[in-house]
Amino acid sequence: MSDTAPAPVEEVTRRGQARKNRRQGGVVEQRSTLQVWGKSALLGVILLWCLFPFFWLIMTSLKIGDRALNSPDLFQGPFGLQNYEAVFGQNFHLNLRNSFVVAGATTIICILVGSLTAYAIARLPLKRKILLLSGVLAVSLFPPVALVPPLYELWRNLGLLNTWEGLYIPYTAFTLPLTIFILMTFYASIPKDLEEAARVDGATPFQAFWRVILPLAAPGVFAAAIIIFVLSWNEFLLANTFAPRNPEIAQTVPVAIAAFTGAVPFQRPIGTITAACVIVTIPMIIIALIFQKRIVAGLTAGSVKG
Amino acid sequence: MADTQIAPEPGTRAGAGPGGPRAAKRKGLSERALARVFVAPSVLLMALVALFPVIWAIVISLFLYTRRQQTGFGGLENYTDALTSGRFWDSVWFTFVFTVSSVTFEFLIGLGFALLMNQAFRGRGVTRAAILVPWVIPTVIAAQMWFFMFNVTPGFINNLLGLGNFNWLGQPGWPIFAVVFADVWKTAPFVALLLLAGLQTIPGDVYESARVDDAGMFQRFWFITMPLLKPAILVALLFRTVDALRVYDLPAVMTQGAFGTESLAILVREFVVRTPNPGFGAALSTLTFILVLGVGMIFVILLGRDLVIGTEGEE
Amino acid sequence: MKTRRTFSTWISLAGGFALLAAACTPGGDDDEAEGGEMVWAIGGSEAQVGGVHQTIAERWSEANPDNPIRIEILPEAADEQREQQALDLQAEAGGFDVLGVDVIWTGEYSENEWLESLEDIRGDIEAVTLPGPFETGIWGGELWAAPYNSNAGFLYYRTDLIDTPPTTWEELCQVAEEAGSAEGIAGFVGQGAQYEGFVVNWLEYYWGLGGELYNEDQSEVLFDVELATQATEFMADALSDCYAPGFNTSMEEEARNEFQGGNAVFMRNWPYAYSLIQEDTGSPANENFDIAPLPTFTGQGTISALGGFNNAVSAFSNNKEAAKEFVLWAATDPEVQATLATEASLPPTMASVYDDLADDPVMSLLGEVLSEAKPRPPAPQWNEISVTMQRALYPAYNGEGDPRSAAEEVLAFLEGTVGN
Repeated sequence: MSDTAPAPVEEVTRRGQARKNRRQGGVVEQRSTLQVWGKSALLGVILLWCLFPFFWLIMTSLKIGDRALNSPDLFQGPFGLQNYEAVFGQNFHLNLRNSFVVAGATTIICILVGSLTAYAIARLPLKRKILLLSGVLAVSLFPPVALVPPLYELWRNLGLLNTWEGLYIPYTAFTLPLTIFILMTFYASIPKDLEEAARVDGATPFQAFWRVILPLAAPGVFAAAIIIFVLSWNEFLLANTFAPRNPEIAQTVPVAIAAFTGAVPFQRPIGTITAACVIVTIPMIIIALIFQKRIVAGLTAGSVKG
Repeated sequence: MADTQIAPEPGTRAGAGPGGPRAAKRKGLSERALARVFVAPSVLLMALVALFPVIWAIVISLFLYTRRQQTGFGGLENYTDALTSGRFWDSVWFTFVFTVSSVTFEFLIGLGFALLMNQAFRGRGVTRAAILVPWVIPTVIAAQMWFFMFNVTPGFINNLLGLGNFNWLGQPGWPIFAVVFADVWKTAPFVALLLLAGLQTIPGDVYESARVDDAGMFQRFWFITMPLLKPAILVALLFRTVDALRVYDLPAVMTQGAFGTESLAILVREFVVRTPNPGFGAALSTLTFILVLGVGMIFVILLGRDLVIGTEGEE
Repeated sequence: MKTRRTFSTWISLAGGFALLAAACTPGGDDDEAEGGEMVWAIGGSEAQVGGVHQTIAERWSEANPDNPIRIEILPEAADEQREQQALDLQAEAGGFDVLGVDVIWTGEYSENEWLESLEDIRGDIEAVTLPGPFETGIWGGELWAAPYNSNAGFLYYRTDLIDTPPTTWEELCQVAEEAGSAEGIAGFVGQGAQYEGFVVNWLEYYWGLGGELYNEDQSEVLFDVELATQATEFMADALSDCYAPGFNTSMEEEARNEFQGGNAVFMRNWPYAYSLIQEDTGSPANENFDIAPLPTFTGQGTISALGGFNNAVSAFSNNKEAAKEFVLWAATDPEVQATLATEASLPPTMASVYDDLADDPVMSLLGEVLSEAKPRPPAPQWNEISVTMQRALYPAYNGEGDPRSAAEEVLAFLEGTVGN
């Protein structure tokens, strides 16, 4: 799937480009060189904008000693890997594990449960949809810091403090609204005749959803998955309240990073913070690289339409 | 699909009943029943987690406290106190300015990113991943990073731009700029991702026919892409707006709320955590909630018109 | 069709993973305190493995195998520490037996009835403790927290740029400006961002002018609007004269990095900076700096705000007697107190330790400064007072408000705190 999916769109674009070229003849040659240059320059600017701060993070994470770390000169040494050693000396691999499980479980439950609801809202007959949508949205809008004290009390009584469940259950609840809204728009954008065709072929409403709609909405599903994963991976407030300590149990990555300290009181551990940040960002980039391929053309792949 | 089949039966309450749609009798669950089954798990899960604390906070907001000690029932006193305090309105104003400016720029830049990521070119995968990098960095750390970048010491941005000791975070006006800038950098990729996914669901043949009609690039974008992208845009704007209205980390870390950068969320946290007054804090939260929900509702109604009305008419 | 099947497989796989994840959180069975094990909730770098709090906890546990103590590491930021303790205490969960409490939390914690009174061990502690740090453990005339470590501000200066440290703030500002511009560096760095550290810095000016906040038992407000206005105006002037650029966004670390990087003549900071600069051989300030007491406005004596942490016993502890013994031991055992100084450069609270460590330049100066240092009032309202001061005085010294009306605002708030 991954290797074949992007093809149609590119093909379409290329075909269109070719036709245009043919039509307009000589002028195009000049303009397209210019366009290529312009595009490359634009791309360069965008990459610089997005990546320069990350480059700063990497450089800083490699610096040793207060003065290097606090110098405005990116290339002010000395350099070394001590910050990374320090990070893994603090059981950071356990934090990574906790974050993976919590964010992974949140993503999966959200997509599974949210898909169904989104489909129902987008396609199935339901009363008072606007009201339902507003209610769904409202769930995620109360300032979270005000929800922490009562939830803490509830979690303590249920024994959910310092557990994975204690994190991914609320994450799921608070991310479901976003999931439902995203998926809903994607389901709604799929032409109805595809579904009808399936129904005519004898599929039940559920089969129509599972076999036809869900695969076609793949770009939306994967975009939503990336978003949910990143949001729960980065969540701080609830994680810091419900599992503030003990990496061996449930402390997640952002909480661990925030708990880093310098060697002495007041000292700010920029070196270890940036190193940890690089460590957690790299797997996320890999995930983004894998998933982004799937944000491509689920529809074009399926829209052959007979 | 269902439009024609079900529409003539407005009186039907539950699909499973004898008057249900013909399709339902033939196989499996009816659409109406299926809809309920599909909606139930989400609603249950959200209600279980969110309902209790929200109601708790609203109840608490009606009580008076001296720090953490409850001193009696106050009715709406906390609300009138909040609504008559200058500090509340100052933070509403900052939050409003922050939201409008950051969401505007995030939308424009995110749309640009999405259009670019949607094109076919060599290295597209890497570009897409690169564009997502800012958004993947935990917000607390991004905030610290931008504090470092903007602050006079060590002064990366000043060093880069040759601005000497320009005090971005320590003089009126500029801290807002710095905070908005950091937020745009951080979350434009979120908008881009949603819009990219939206672009991908626009069938290629729509463009094909437009090309045949010899529509210009801008016209194609404005008359074909934009309307089809509208739901994705609305969702992206909706969630960016409600999130921006609750911004906490960036101003809290970069300015501690100095120079008029105290957001509503900072104010709420102040009265929940820093100088605890649970009643007043809960009242501020509820006010924030009402405000955010009000803004959110505008988007929901716009979205609803687009997506939902068609099927809602079936009732 | 192939595409669709793959996608469904993905989803099914994902579902399997979800079930797996739901099944198990790794066992966290060490929550249950067996026998007499106590939990000490304290934060910061010294609570980490290898820190001095850990050393002290181990020493206690070895000597008291029936009531060993274990540290729950709280975050570095004081607000976060307080919040994590508050969640446990508010729930009356009893998860913590001994609490490391900032010197400004005493009143708030005791008002919330979170603490066990330490009146019965008061005598033993008072006898050996410096008066300033001892006062921070008292609220309403009763001892609630046993002093553990203290802190006070120093004036750091560059010995290669000036000969003798100034004794008044005006002189300091003048010298800083001259020496700074001669050298092409900034004059003075301190803590000027809008946070608790700014309040500390401002109080040192205000107290240096002879001002007070309350009378002894905090029943009466002694806040002087005139002096407060002067203090704020001094800062406003200094901001354009001798303060380093970025003073008003700088906290402890920004200040230290500027001074350590050789970019400032003077610095107001806590003792922690001393060893860091001394160890940094590449620093222009290394070997070229010394410490002195903070100046006043009269040139007489010195004044500094007190910092530090006390140990308190949680009212919800199941092991109060042992916990009390522990806090008493940590406050009064000469070895424990000396360890704080020698292993971690944390200022001890026990008077006699300073005599023993008189050879150490930091400790000998601390001994001198701490006897003159003033605690911020450990009133239950301190957080509100601090926030009020920040919100009124910070804009005033930044030219965004009138210093006098800012001072009046603070006075009005302080007056509202007495008699309730």
